Amino acid sequence: MGNKGLGARLLYEMQEPGVDPLSPRNHLIVTTAPMTGTGAPSTNRFNVTTRSPLTGAIVCSNSGGDFGVHLKRAGYDALIVKGKAKSPVWLRIGEDEVSVEDAGELWGLDTEKTREKLPPKTGKLVIGPAGENLVKYACIVSQERVAGRAGVGTVMGSKNLKAVVAGGNMKPRPAHEEEYKKACKAWREVLKNHPTTGGELPSYGTAMFINRCNAANAIPTRNFSMGTFPYADEVSGETLAETRLEKNYACYGCVIACGRRVKVGGKSVKGPEYETLALLGPNLENRDLEAIIEWNYQADLLGLDTISMANTLGFVMELAEKGLIPSDLRFGKTAGISQAIEDIAYRRGLGEDMAEGVRYLAGKYGGEDFAIHSKGLELPGYEPRGAVGHGLGYAVANRGGCHLSGGYVVYVEANGPILVDPVTTTGKAGLVILLQTLLESISTLGCCNFTVFTMLLPKLLEWNARYTPVAKSLSMSFQYSGDLLGWALSTLPPWLLPFKPPFIMFPQVKSHSLCTGSDMTMGKFLQLGQRSYNIERLFNVREGFGSSEDTLPKRLTEELQRAEEPRSRVPLDKLLPRYYRLRGWDAGGRPKKKLLDRLSIREV
Amino acid sequence: MVTVKFFASLRRASGVTGYKSEARSVAELLKEAEKLYGPGMAASLKACTVLVNGRNIHFLKGRRTRLEDGDEVALFPPLGGG
Repeated sequence: MGNKGLGARLLYEMQEPGVDPLSPRNHLIVTTAPMTGTGAPSTNRFNVTTRSPLTGAIVCSNSGGDFGVHLKRAGYDALIVKGKAKSPVWLRIGEDEVSVEDAGELWGLDTEKTREKLPPKTGKLVIGPAGENLVKYACIVSQERVAGRAGVGTVMGSKNLKAVVAGGNMKPRPAHEEEYKKACKAWREVLKNHPTTGGELPSYGTAMFINRCNAANAIPTRNFSMGTFPYADEVSGETLAETRLEKNYACYGCVIACGRRVKVGGKSVKGPEYETLALLGPNLENRDLEAIIEWNYQADLLGLDTISMANTLGFVMELAEKGLIPSDLRFGKTAGISQAIEDIAYRRGLGEDMAEGVRYLAGKYGGEDFAIHSKGLELPGYEPRGAVGHGLGYAVANRGGCHLSGGYVVYVEANGPILVDPVTTTGKAGLVILLQTLLESISTLGCCNFTVFTMLLPKLLEWNARYTPVAKSLSMSFQYSGDLLGWALSTLPPWLLPFKPPFIMFPQVKSHSLCTGSDMTMGKFLQLGQRSYNIERLFNVREGFGSSEDTLPKRLTEELQRAEEPRSRVPLDKLLPRYYRLRGWDAGGRPKKKLLDRLSIREV
Repeated sequence: MVTVKFFASLRRASGVTGYKSEARSVAELLKEAEKLYGPGMAASLKACTVLVNGRNIHFLKGRRTRLEDGDEVALFPPLGGG
């Protein structure tokens, strides 16, 4: 339909197999969705799809910011970049013309200065020095939001493309304009009245998860060797709100406003998100909130993905402790980190190797058992031995170790309403499929993933937290029906769910129908996610990926997180075959023909 | 002694980050917290997520879960997001 799904299909169909991610033949695809720029809440997202230089797999990196809206105003749904400029350039996209401009004066500037020098009142995508220097996990910045993962900024740098600027005065017109306006207004109310999107996210931002994950053994600590950090509260959302918060920050047209503006060193800067706090905090055994804010700002200026960067720092610390690499970086010490971040961006000294990511470092210096990545993508801020379904999600995720492509199962296991036992394997394979499909469908409609929270009716979850026998039965039945739900999603045709989903739970779906003029049933909505996920998978299969890449390091699959809990590891040997079977994939992790026929997907 | 920790809106409602308790069960602890921090906390405590040493009490014995010296009890509002 749009964003992630559209990007995956375009890349799968347009790109021949075996293209080097940093060669001119790799495509960089920016997509929007039908509702982008129409005034619907939290639908400003744009998506960047390409073949990742970090993993070799498909990467779909989704971002807020305002670029998607401005691309629409220029009159375009998507942008596809192929080739390589002879010298640094930036791309100007207007209503009537597209031009390639010289970026000689911009090359070498950080992301903030670059944005300042480009035309005002436009949407901008920019890379920093890290993207120019082909650091394998360079990001793309739009306003203060970031398409961060798996080196989309590296691909932009490989094309000598410093920035893309879009703008115009066109406005997409919804099919049923008046009804659409009313639906969007009601949708905004649903978001404002929900305790997550209208309460905790605005109050604490994504950083609210620090204390939740820490309490549930799911905060990565000391390079994912533990799941709790005694000083986690010092870098938590609560502490950030109480001591640093200046004001909230919202993406274009969003009523949630989960972003933070914080003060550091007399300057107002973007506040760190959960992942950054977890991975630069507990995972480095660091409790210095001010230092994390500064490193986060530094990484944004240089154009580095903070998840991969922080994991790389943690891995080097452990390698150094074990005497495997010459570095002074140490757990619990902030000294040298800022310099190391700069060295990565400019590929100086050991930074040259660190710029290649954790998998490369493990290949050169050893430590594969504790090299925290999947398919070469460093893991986000959730210790999966405290939430084993989330661990399965990491292993099978199409873009490599990713919480969103993995389904974000930790939400029902450890840091949200906790509906299922975090360390059991029962029902987990199916729940991963269910949640992956939901998030994929939401992304494909162009909505922020946070809009999915409205699906969880507050009353139902409050009732669940009353701990009555009936409430316990509700939790248990959700867990035990997990595999059945996952199987049904992959197996049954969409016409078996012919109803329109209730507005209060899925306002995106009705709004989308009014925008496009095409009715969407629950079955069709879920099929979007199924189709998108399987197309991404087909891209990876074509590039040689199979079950041997759906894995995690031994630290997470074989070592127990807690000696007293024999289930505190991710038993992929048990979970993977079940996941493949329920997905309709063969034992090698490839979608079967029967499934592709049912989803009307043509293999290329 | 049991260590009790409040998070998110429960921290705002109570005005403290936590306290030490001698309660012997989760039910007893919740009643005690309501008494200590007033009626403003009552509604929040009726439906809050309770973890004892990192385990949700759904997977222990619910509110009848016994508490031992040195246990850590974490209390959150039932919903979150991130």
